[in-house]
Order: sequence, then structure tokens, then C-alpha cells
Amino acid sequence: MAILRKLKEKLTKIMQKEKKSPPQTLAGSPSSPQRTANPPSILAEILAKKIAKGLLRKRKGEEVPLAEKKEILGQQETAIGKTKFYTVEAPRMPRVMPQELPEQYGQDKIVLQVRDLRWIHAYWEITGQTYERLKNELKDEFYRAKRILRVYDVSQIIFDGNNAHRFFDIQINEGASNWYIDTAGPGKSWCVDLGLLLTDDRFIMLVRSNTVCTPIEGPSWITDEEWMIPEDMFARLYGMGFGLGRSSPAGKAWQERIKRELFSGVLASPGITSLASPVKKVPAERKFWLVVNTELIVYGATEPDAKVYVQDRQINLRHDGTFTMRFALPNGKQVIPVKAIASDNQEERTITPIVTKETK
Amino acid sequence: MHKGYLCLVLHGHLPYVRHPEHEDFLEEDWLYEAITETYIPLIWTLEALSNDNVDFRLTMSLSPTLISILTDGLLQDRYLRHINSLIELAHKEVERTRWQPEFQHLAIMYLNNFCKARDTFQRFNRNLITPFKNFQDAGKLEIITCAATHGFFPLMDICKESVRAQVKVAVSHYEAVFGRKPRGIWLPECGYHPGHDELLKEAGLRYFFTDAHGVLHGAPRPKYGVFAPVYCRGTGVAGFGRDLESSKQVWSSIDGYPGDYLYREFYRDIGFDLDYEYIKPYIHPDGVRINTGIKYFRITGSEKKEPYNSHWAREKASEQAGNFMFNREKQIDYLYDFMQKKPIVVSPYDAELFGHWWYEGPVWLEFLIRKIAFDQKTIRLITPSEYLLENPRNQVITPSLSSWGWKGYSEMWLQGPNDWIYRHLHTASGRMTELAKSFPHTDGVLRRALKQALRELLLAQSSDWAFIMGTGTHTSYATRRTKEHLLRFTRLYEDIKSNSIDENWLCDIEYKDNIFPDIDYRVHQ
Repeated sequence: MAILRKLKEKLTKIMQKEKKSPPQTLAGSPSSPQRTANPPSILAEILAKKIAKGLLRKRKGEEVPLAEKKEILGQQETAIGKTKFYTVEAPRMPRVMPQELPEQYGQDKIVLQVRDLRWIHAYWEITGQTYERLKNELKDEFYRAKRILRVYDVSQIIFDGNNAHRFFDIQINEGASNWYIDTAGPGKSWCVDLGLLLTDDRFIMLVRSNTVCTPIEGPSWITDEEWMIPEDMFARLYGMGFGLGRSSPAGKAWQERIKRELFSGVLASPGITSLASPVKKVPAERKFWLVVNTELIVYGATEPDAKVYVQDRQINLRHDGTFTMRFALPNGKQVIPVKAIASDNQEERTITPIVTKETK
Repeated sequence: MHKGYLCLVLHGHLPYVRHPEHEDFLEEDWLYEAITETYIPLIWTLEALSNDNVDFRLTMSLSPTLISILTDGLLQDRYLRHINSLIELAHKEVERTRWQPEFQHLAIMYLNNFCKARDTFQRFNRNLITPFKNFQDAGKLEIITCAATHGFFPLMDICKESVRAQVKVAVSHYEAVFGRKPRGIWLPECGYHPGHDELLKEAGLRYFFTDAHGVLHGAPRPKYGVFAPVYCRGTGVAGFGRDLESSKQVWSSIDGYPGDYLYREFYRDIGFDLDYEYIKPYIHPDGVRINTGIKYFRITGSEKKEPYNSHWAREKASEQAGNFMFNREKQIDYLYDFMQKKPIVVSPYDAELFGHWWYEGPVWLEFLIRKIAFDQKTIRLITPSEYLLENPRNQVITPSLSSWGWKGYSEMWLQGPNDWIYRHLHTASGRMTELAKSFPHTDGVLRRALKQALRELLLAQSSDWAFIMGTGTHTSYATRRTKEHLLRFTRLYEDIKSNSIDENWLCDIEYKDNIFPDIDYRVHQ
């Protein structure tokens, strides 16, 4: 970690130096000003709104670490990605499963998966027989024992049950069958035992998980002799890769701020955990509204073989000679001559409704 | 002379949504909307470029599920029915808006576009893969594959046999469709887990894409950041990192291009706005209002929406294409001096973003490609294959676990609403491996049952179900699909093990889940 900290300090210095040199100006940035989110209307996308709000709040605040910046972009991508599946649920379509999936598969098993830099997820099942066996062996002790997830740091070793760098315990409740574990340790390998912790501190392992590795939270400090790059140059490329480059359209001031925040906060990637994700919260906003539109229906009937013109445009008749026209009705006066001409062209009739619409 | 490369990548994917058991099925609209608004307009874009002899390179992934539904006879029939009904509605709209010229122009625009879409659909004999294949054969487009059903690989690492099956089924499907092997793959959601490059190599794939931090946080440190691909240690499969700056310009719904006030507003659709009795024949038969695709307003920037003006929007798309190109020129100029080498800027997007969410997207893309061809000399468009051919020497690293999803790792697909699926999916994977190993040579009904078992497992693994559950809205379909395929798999597994396959039932699910007719169940080991 010391090396990483050092790297961070170095990068900070570099960025400060860079700030002193005259910044390049940007010709040809988009002429249109910064905009806010599309305010979604009738079927308001709460998600999109929430994100817009979150961003405004963040703009006012001082600290927008890179991780969050990336997270905001991620949320936007999620919100847009969702529109692919934009739909509503049909209320009358019963979607009841004929059968449910089993709760257990009859195995003693625990599986670990990586959620992000520091969080791993474990799910498990322990069969009734295993518990019965333990009850018989441990008698009363079984009921006094705590159920424990023992989380081992097994980075860079072949774990044999005893050689972990360190471990910590998480007490779980009896009914739990999965758990999110904060390892607080990016870039490490983890293995978890599910077991019983007896009152005399003995630990009885029920089942051992697979090993997983949390990813590192910034650039690697391992360098490649053949592909060396000075650290200041790497820092620039690193920032540019995250979209903080000089040709960014968002303007110099914004870039400077982001750079400052990037190197004052964690030199981190996305994935800092925030359990309260904005995606899941629904704001309790008042959203009362009213929309009124008007349409005009013009309908009538004549001989089925006659020709009918509405405002000089011919329309189609139904087989029985009836017709219906529907118009969006704007404010103002509409003069609507309806003319019917007999099939032998010998006779014609015109009726002209006149409609005035006002909105107050 | 040019100083660097731009690699534009469009990722086309929809999950397998096909319900022969219902006459009208709401979720099939995902496909119909995407055909009218994205796939056909993209074909028009490529045709326009090609007719004007504009030289271009574009990379596109077409997921095996998308190819399957686009080439399915039943869905093709239904699309035709869908577009015919839209055309009828557009005719009515032209009449209805007679006294509102600002809307009537738009009604006429939609009518023309829908008619043109139907013509295009029929011109290619209803098979919209054909034009893409033709552009690939002409050397302009590189089509890459994706996982068979878009399974999210980092959460399948515990059962690599399933990752292998996802890759191998995809590769053989691609070969059957395009008559050649795919060179690269779009990892679903850009989900890379160290070691999976081994499985890509096994299937003959030469490259994939990761999000920026996949490369930037790789070890050792990548000398050129995301501006040159890296080879994975041990396999030599190339990984191309996404450039987030160019992504942001397009993706961001707030300060990205698609949010421009002149562009079409996605959320104002006549399916919701017009009188119920009038619109009823064109929404869901159950009477639920849905999007029709006819949208009259522009984003405007306030709650009171102004009518859309397609000329202004087109002008804006052209201006923004110019802006995008200018920014890439600056970026590449700078990187070229800095790196002493031609950088590659990789800009991947969801294909469905173009046209569906961002109505003007296909036009923007056309302007961009034209401008790059005629208005500048700094950038050259390139495909990953061409790049690797010209730049075979690249650094060897181990990329980091990463995805392009929310927060950059696996949380979108592993959180409260969807974490329950993995115990079932992983158990099913283990069982499928067991079946594949127990029955190396089979025929008849047993063989059909084994093939169907793998189909059901793959369909259950689509990342789309977990994604929809994760967004927390309208999750019942996604939940149902996950359970349905898992239950079908489980029954097949039990029937196969107890040698009691119910052939009638098997026929029924073969008919419902008819994806990958030539699947080889033995790849799952």
C-alpha cells in the first residue's frame, strides 16, 4: 500500500506542475450550452430524474471523485440500457409459475463470487443430515454454538486451512443462506469457511468455498522492463483513459476540477460501495398534472357509391356508405366543407360545419 | 498521413424473446421496435455510405440470440404484421393532424419511414442479417460474435464449462450464419474475468473488448493505457480497452449528444398521449398502452414540449458529428506526440442506443463517417483485425476483472433483487457437465433431450434477466424467464437420469425454445 500511496503523491505533484503551465485552449467545443436531463413526461422515468438530480447535487458539492464520476456515467448507461426493454406489464396476463425452484439441492456447498473491489458474495446450503450429525456429536454445544463465516486472506498462497495471512469472522443468523462480505481489501484472494464457533472457541468447519480474487483498485505497481513508461506519462494516459483528456468537450474548467478531484481523492476506479444506490430509491415527489386535448369527429353517410370530399380531399367510405373522420382540433375556426358527388356525377350536396375552438 | 485510429464498435443484442404460444406478446415488441428504429436505419446508413463510395470501417457484434430472432420465420411474420399496423396508424395520423401542419409533417415522415422499412425488410427477403453479411463480405464491416445467450461471464467463473459452452455455441452459430470463423468476440457487458481468455483462444477467437479499467488496472502496467491493445498473458488473445471520453460524449444522458433539446423526445409517444378509443387497435390487445414509435415532440428542455423538427435535428446531428470528429482529432494528435506511436481510440456503444433511444443516432453515425472520410487526415477508421495485422507487437499483461456495467464490476447482476439466481444457475451448470460427460454418444430422443437441456440452460443464463431484475421495474417477465428455463432444464435432467423422457413434452419445449437447432451438447464440459 505504501507504494501506491507514493505513486499517488507523485501523481498529485505532476498534476500540480501541469496546472502551472498554460493550459491548452480548446477551439471548436460544442456551441450549445450544458443541458440538463430530458425531463421525461407522462411515463416519467424516475431513474433518469434521480440521476439528473444526483448530478446537480454533486456539481454544487466540492468533491466528485473519479469513482463517482464513473459511477454516474454507469448509471446513465444503465438508464439508457433499460430503454431497450422499455415496456409495461399487462395486468391481465397471469404470470404464475406452475412450479417453484427448489430451495435446496441436497449438497453441502458454499460458493463465493466477487461483486466489486471489496465486496464478495457467498451463498451456501447445508443439508439437514449434516446438521443432524453435528447435533448428535455436539449435543447441547450445538445449540450454544454461533454460525460463523470465517473469511481468510489467502493472497499468493496455496491455502491448506492453516496458512492464511489473517482471517475475520462474521456471525450469521440461522436462516441466512447468503451474505455480502466487505473484505475491505482490493487486490487480494479470499476463501471462506462456513462453520460453527463453539463456546470454547473451537471452530468446526462445515464447508469450504472456492477462492476468489478481488481486483486491484488502481493501476498496478508492477511494471514491465520492456514496456517501461515514466510515471508522469502513465498518470496522464491513465487520466485520459478515464475520459479526462484534453480534447474533452466539457471545457477546461470542468477538466481542471475533475483532475483536482481525481488526485485529491482516491486514485481509484469505479466500484466504491454505496449501499444506498439511487437506482433503487423512489423519490416521494408530488406529481399532480393535467393534460387536455380536443379532437373533432366528423361523420356522416351517403350512397355507398358516391364520392365524398372533406375540405377538398377525397375520403374512403365504408361499404354501407358511412364515413368517420377524426381531426386533432387546434384553437381557432375550422371550416369543413363535406361534399358528396353521386356516382353518375349528376348530383352533388355540400354541408359545411364550422367549428370554433377556444381554450381558456 | 494519419496519426491514429478510431475503432467504432456497435454491440447489437436482444435476448431470445419468442412466444409462439401467444398471438400477441408484449416483450416481442423489443424486437419490432429495434428493427424499425435501429437495425433497418443502420442498414440505410451503411447503404448510403456504400452507394456514395465512402470508404469506412465499422465493427459490429451481433449476438447469437439477436441473429436467431431476426431469422426466425414466426417473428418475421409477426414483424410484418406489426409494421403493417403501424403504417395503417400513420395513415390515420396524417388525416388526424390535418389542421396541425407541424404535426402533419411528422406523421408523413413516419408514414414514409415505416413504408420504407417494410420495403427494406421485404427486399432482403425478411432476413436482415443478409445486408450486414454483405457489408462484411465487402470488407467494410467486421461482424464479431458474442456469447451464445449473452451470459455474464464473471459470474459464471465457478462453472467454466458454461463459459466454454457460451463461447463455442456462439462460434459455431456464427460460422453457420456467416460462412467463416469470427475473429473477435464482444464479451457480454464487457465482463472479463482473468483466465477466460483461455476459453476464447480455445475457440479460435483473437480479440475481445474490456472497459477502460480492465486494461488500465491490468498487471503489469500497460504502457499505452487504453490506446493500444494488450495481449493476455499465456494466451496472446488481444484485449482492446474502451475509451471513456468518447463514450461519455454519446452515452451520457445529461451532457451527451442524445440529450440535445432539438432531438426527439423518447418518452412522448402517441401510444400514451392519444385518446384511448382511437389508439386502442394499435396498443396491446389487453388494452395496455404501449409505445407505438410515433413521437411528435423534441426534448425541448422544459416540461412543455415543442414539436419535433427533423431538419433542425439533422443539422444538429451533423454539427455534433463534426464535434465528435474534432475531439477525436485533438485526442489523437496529442496522443501521437505523447506516445510516439499511432494510438487506437476504441468507442463501443450499444447498437440499440442508435435510433431507438437516440433517434438521430444513425444519421449522426453517417455524418461522422462521411466527415472522417472527406474532411480530415488525422484519423483512420479501423477494425481490430486490421489493427492487429498492422501492429502485431503489443504488450503482454493480465487484464483486470471488469465490466462496463454500473460501478464497473458485477454489482448490476449481483445485488438484492437478482442474487438468488446463481445457486440455481450454477447447480444447473454442474448438472449439464455431468450429463455431457455421462452421454458422449447418443441418438434419438435422448440426444434431443440433451440438446434441449443445454438450450434451456443457456437461455436461463442471459444477463438480460438479471439486469432487468436489478433495475427493479417490470421484473416479472425476467423472473419468469429465469425460472421457466431452469425448471425445464431440471425436469430434463431428472428425466434423462431416470431414463423417462416425456417425448410429447419435449416436443412442446423444442417448439417453444427452438434456438440453436444444431447445438452440440458436448461442448459443455
